[in-house]
Amino acid sequence: MAAPSICVPGQRLGRLDDNTTSGNGTYERNGFIYSSLAGYLESKDIDDGKKLVEVRTDTKKNIVPSVDAIVTARITNVTPRFCKCIMLSVGKTPLNEPFRGMLRKEDVRATEKDKVEMYKCFRPGDIIVARVLSLGDAHSYLLSTTENELGVVMAVSEAGATMVPISWCKMKCPKTMSEEPRKVAKVQPQFLQYSGT
Amino acid sequence: MPTDSRRITGPETSQSPHIYQKTNGTEIVLIDENKKRQDGRGLGDIRPMFLRAGIVSQARGSAYMEQNQTKVICAVYGPREIARREEFSWKGQITCEFKFATFSCLHRRQPQQDGEEKDFSVQLLEALEPAVCLHKFPKSQVNVYVTVLQDDGSALAAAITCASVALADAAIEMYDLVTGCSARISGGHILLDPCHTEEYRSEKDNTVNNGSVTLGLMPSLRQVSAVTSKGELEFEHVKKAMDQCLEVCQKLYPVLQQSLIKSVKEKLEMDKLSDCHTT
Amino acid sequence: MVDVQLSDAEKIYILHGIQDNCREDGRSCEDYRHLEIESNVVSNTTGSARVRLANTEILVGVKAEMGNPAPEKPDKGRLEFFVDCSANATPQFEGRGGEELATEISNLLSRSYDCPSCFDLSSLCVLPGQQCWILYIDVLLLECGGNLFDASSIAVKAALFNTRIPKVTVREDEGHTELEISDDPYDVQRLNVQSVPCIVTLSKIGHSHVVDASQREEACCLARLMIGVTEKGTITAMKKEGSGSLDPASVEDMMETGKKVGQDINISLTCVLKMEERQGVKRQTIGFLR
Repeated sequence: MAAPSICVPGQRLGRLDDNTTSGNGTYERNGFIYSSLAGYLESKDIDDGKKLVEVRTDTKKNIVPSVDAIVTARITNVTPRFCKCIMLSVGKTPLNEPFRGMLRKEDVRATEKDKVEMYKCFRPGDIIVARVLSLGDAHSYLLSTTENELGVVMAVSEAGATMVPISWCKMKCPKTMSEEPRKVAKVQPQFLQYSGT
Repeated sequence: MPTDSRRITGPETSQSPHIYQKTNGTEIVLIDENKKRQDGRGLGDIRPMFLRAGIVSQARGSAYMEQNQTKVICAVYGPREIARREEFSWKGQITCEFKFATFSCLHRRQPQQDGEEKDFSVQLLEALEPAVCLHKFPKSQVNVYVTVLQDDGSALAAAITCASVALADAAIEMYDLVTGCSARISGGHILLDPCHTEEYRSEKDNTVNNGSVTLGLMPSLRQVSAVTSKGELEFEHVKKAMDQCLEVCQKLYPVLQQSLIKSVKEKLEMDKLSDCHTT
Repeated sequence: MVDVQLSDAEKIYILHGIQDNCREDGRSCEDYRHLEIESNVVSNTTGSARVRLANTEILVGVKAEMGNPAPEKPDKGRLEFFVDCSANATPQFEGRGGEELATEISNLLSRSYDCPSCFDLSSLCVLPGQQCWILYIDVLLLECGGNLFDASSIAVKAALFNTRIPKVTVREDEGHTELEISDDPYDVQRLNVQSVPCIVTLSKIGHSHVVDASQREEACCLARLMIGVTEKGTITAMKKEGSGSLDPASVEDMMETGKKVGQDINISLTCVLKMEERQGVKRQTIGFLR
């Protein structure tokens, strides 16, 4: 593979015409494409015969939560109307500095939104997987768990053991065998192990 | 001035011995008969520059720059959540902090930022803000911390260049890099990149047309992002000095390019190595 | 600066007007708004002045105190600038809100006055190395209507012109020196403010630039150039401010305009101040009532 060509911010990459479009890490000005990152140049062919010019860098670096991204968060506060959480990672990329998120009562479930009781869905300390609804306000991003695959993935019971999910609304503690209500995320099929019964 | 209660400072009435030196009153000859300056440079020569990106491991991006005896280090953190959240904004925010290390100048500096350092922080922010794509990180802030380890003149210009390389190293999207250059105007002569003894000081120089100009330029777009001046100067001299600084800033661009290309290559090598280990 | 919300249509309206050299209040690009100056408004100060530039109101008080000179400059006095953005002007300045703006204004003022050829600090020296006059120049922003830098510098120049420092006689008495400050209100020392600079702010809007931008015009501009200009046409301090960048050619154009406008305003200011002083006791004091 040929050595990739490296560019710096402000470097002119090429002319903007019908065959080329600018992608991530670039910007357009006066009919030319300029690079906006210090990284290596990649040009890919996309579906309608055009070339996509992109500048890629170490992608582990700057992730900021964007709308419709799946995030992993830890619940910090639970109130009857909403709960607050700290976002730990966006997709598979961990965040170096945590961002704050808020999950409102009406964004927990898709059905029966008014009958949701927050304390029966989440508890402080739970790890949840959610989707970013919007940038929210100055304080926190707005999240939602209205899909089956979103919700609590890991929780600790009152006895202190990591709980096992039994249904979409209950988790069981392996130590005390007691059940606790949570809004549980649907476990991906590849992680299910049938015990043969 | 708020006092720092955590530190045991020296006695308040202490003074630097330099003010009692006999050589203080004598005139410093800036240019001799051969049109050479004190350190042998010509009027339009700048000091050789050494620039390296990616040296602070904990920071998102960092850079270190040396111009002969002036040494500046810069670290960039972010984008992270804004601490003082007032209102929602689609644009991100940059904050700059410029600090001379207490031992960096001839006279000892205070551990806390004094007026001059706060002024430089504002000027550094002015220089960097036009170059960064603020709309790419809404609701977040990027912190730029510049520390001057040794000051031998042109500290602000060096800080501007160093900070823009650190921002590029942190993979913060920018429209262009920013290069800084300063010039000293003395009589009709323009000295580029003055060192500490050549810098303008209001107490020493009494005549008109004595001052300095600092310029921050975005080389690829040819736009001026910051310009400041000190001292009483005539319009034509300021114009000439600015033109010369513009030329120098354009010439500095390849040095910044080289250092960034080198650091990107190093990161690629490291990624390849770590991929080999994991697969 | 204080923010005024403008819609895109209003911004385009202002932009197009400026392109045709006609601003929203009918001025040309190089005209100042109505400017009122009054000196000697505060009795407890050594010198004071009040400036009203359309909606911007600034009050400057100068107090002279005896103190030790700086060790590196034993034969020179000192000027200490302090700007206070009072919460009177706008609620955004409450508490520490106006601190950043205040620091910027005071930094630019001290930088433009830091030239030996524009303000002679050695006239403030009493005993070299031991005693000198320190002038505390305090700027109070009473109302914010755009263009704070220009109005503050005009007010500071007027206040310094108005300053009357009591004369000091030095007597050598058996080995130690004694200072006697005269309490005759007419036995005073005046300051020479002939070469003192005035700051001119040029705001870049669209492709042209304007002098003395109102608050709405400030909301449309992305970059500003502030220049301290003396009567002779020399530049004492220059600072570019704003999140936009400027073309080198624009910077030169703006500097030319600034120099021209700055010289004009210095000349007319000196003229008006001298006229005010000639009126003497018969002068009609307006104060803060309108």
